[in-house]
Amino acid sequence: MPIRHITRRALCVAGLLLAASHALAMDVETYAGKVEIDTPPKKVAVFDIAALDTLLAIGVTPAGVPKTLYLPELAGVAEKAEIVGDIFEPDLEALSALSPDLIIVGGRSSGKEKQTSRIAPSLDMTMDGVDVIDQARRRAITYGELFGRQDAARQAVERFDSSLDRARKSVQGKGRGLIVMTNGPKVSAYGSESRFGWVHKALGLPPAVEQMQAATHGEPVSFEFIRKADPDWLLVLDRAAAIGASDQNARATLDNALVAETKAWKSGRVIYLPAADFYIAAGGLQATQRVLSAIESAFSAHP
Amino acid sequence: MMKGAGLCLALLVIASLAIGVEDLSLSGAGDRLPLLDLLSISRMPRTLAAVLTGAGLAVAGQIMQTLTRNRFVEPSTAGTAQSAALGILIVTLFLPSAGIGLKALVASGCALAGTALFLSTAHRLPPEQPHLVPLFGLVYGGVVGAAVTYVAWQNDLLQYLDIWMNGEFSGVLRGRYELLFFCVLLIAAALLAADRLTIMALGEGQATSLGIDYRRMTQIGLVLVSVMSALSVVVVGLVPFVGLVVPNLVSRIFGDNLRGTLPLVALCGAILVLSADIVGRLIRFPYEIPVGTVLGVVGPFVFLWLILQERRNA
Repeated sequence: MPIRHITRRALCVAGLLLAASHALAMDVETYAGKVEIDTPPKKVAVFDIAALDTLLAIGVTPAGVPKTLYLPELAGVAEKAEIVGDIFEPDLEALSALSPDLIIVGGRSSGKEKQTSRIAPSLDMTMDGVDVIDQARRRAITYGELFGRQDAARQAVERFDSSLDRARKSVQGKGRGLIVMTNGPKVSAYGSESRFGWVHKALGLPPAVEQMQAATHGEPVSFEFIRKADPDWLLVLDRAAAIGASDQNARATLDNALVAETKAWKSGRVIYLPAADFYIAAGGLQATQRVLSAIESAFSAHP
Repeated sequence: MMKGAGLCLALLVIASLAIGVEDLSLSGAGDRLPLLDLLSISRMPRTLAAVLTGAGLAVAGQIMQTLTRNRFVEPSTAGTAQSAALGILIVTLFLPSAGIGLKALVASGCALAGTALFLSTAHRLPPEQPHLVPLFGLVYGGVVGAAVTYVAWQNDLLQYLDIWMNGEFSGVLRGRYELLFFCVLLIAAALLAADRLTIMALGEGQATSLGIDYRRMTQIGLVLVSVMSALSVVVVGLVPFVGLVVPNLVSRIFGDNLRGTLPLVALCGAILVLSADIVGRLIRFPYEIPVGTVLGVVGPFVFLWLILQERRNA
């Protein structure tokens, strides 16, 4: 039966060619490896806030979003989209009712693409925290190609790079910094290898404590530790503020006799970073830009 | 024995005062903090907080074990601490700006209600099956804990809740722990009631015929246990196993006459928590390991050992 074989093969090839004419068939580089996407997505459900933030920056409107979006800037998005779970857990029923043609998970929903791919092609776009800045750029370019918005992506990355540049210039030669996160009454410190380490690396801000180990959730420290480190700059993330509970604010936690002795506190060089942008949406183009401009304006205010 | 324990605690206190990230210096030369400031701002408060928490929790555990007439119950395994955490959560949700005093008050109230419910049910369990009470306590504590987790999850406070559920002293400074001094009063009250508590351990019938107002004493015990647990949960978080392990070890060696053993229970509780805190400060110096984690690692082994011993003696 060779003839039948040949026809079948020919049909196959023809079909492929037909599909390719309006297909994209691109390999998307994800956190979980390469994933092939062959039709340009129109209806996308997004669980990762950083991805959502970057998509909006290049003009892609999501059809499905998590229940809580944390960033006030995203409030308008939720009104126009369906709720399909929260940032930790996709709601598979809501998802399948929406029937999107692409699902993006990542960060706190990392790994959930195994479940969601039964509904639609899924990408895990987690950023691993080693070089958030570079990954933020690469993700934006990838989304640009995926959604056919290459130009918008390129422009967004250019804007991002120029604010990175300005922030970097403002930081130069102004001393060492220590990144701390307050969580209620307690404090953790983050070194240059941590999830927030990009601030030290990308901006060239020397860390006040060398050789802090790479611990994603930071190192629980005492206030004596902060005083001993004696940073010129204290970069503070208020975790409670990041998730919307603003009762125990970072200033109250840090306002004590030991922290008061640091150079940073004495000279008013304490930067309260935009918490949700820094903590929830790390690596989102616009969110990270807001973090960069907060850093820039604080450093610029102290010549 | 009291002397030995006292000496041990004194040595630990000195060690605790000496250990910390900042260097001790007499003069405060250079940019160093003068010794007295360092001690009064940071080291003394932390040491005292550990001592008071440990003593309070051990005494609370002892009272709880007396009230339930069961050796394997303590505030953090029988819903008291979880109820206190629920109280804090409720205040956080409805009165976010509330001070630590109000938090302590509501936490104590919730702990009281939660513990009362536990006790009233535990008293109905058949006394010939002694392991039913701690089992029920674990399930009950788990249910209350699950409610706490659910409320926290609904309000995005899960990781915030972890602070209370894992006790540690790294945030303790002058001005941030003084609530714990109430524990001194409560421990003193427990010492005054020690004789009565000893008699209560004989059971309601016996105690009543010996002239004890059983119901009144139960209420007093309930308040002592709840307030002590709530205070420690509010200030430092949940510290497990102290209330379980310490009273058991003390009674194994020195018997059950609380007038003699209760001060020892308090001392040993203080010793246990303070040494766990010192260990937590040293293992990854200059970073910290929460005291709850240290005890959570050590506690289960001691607990298992106690249960196995029990079997051997039976």
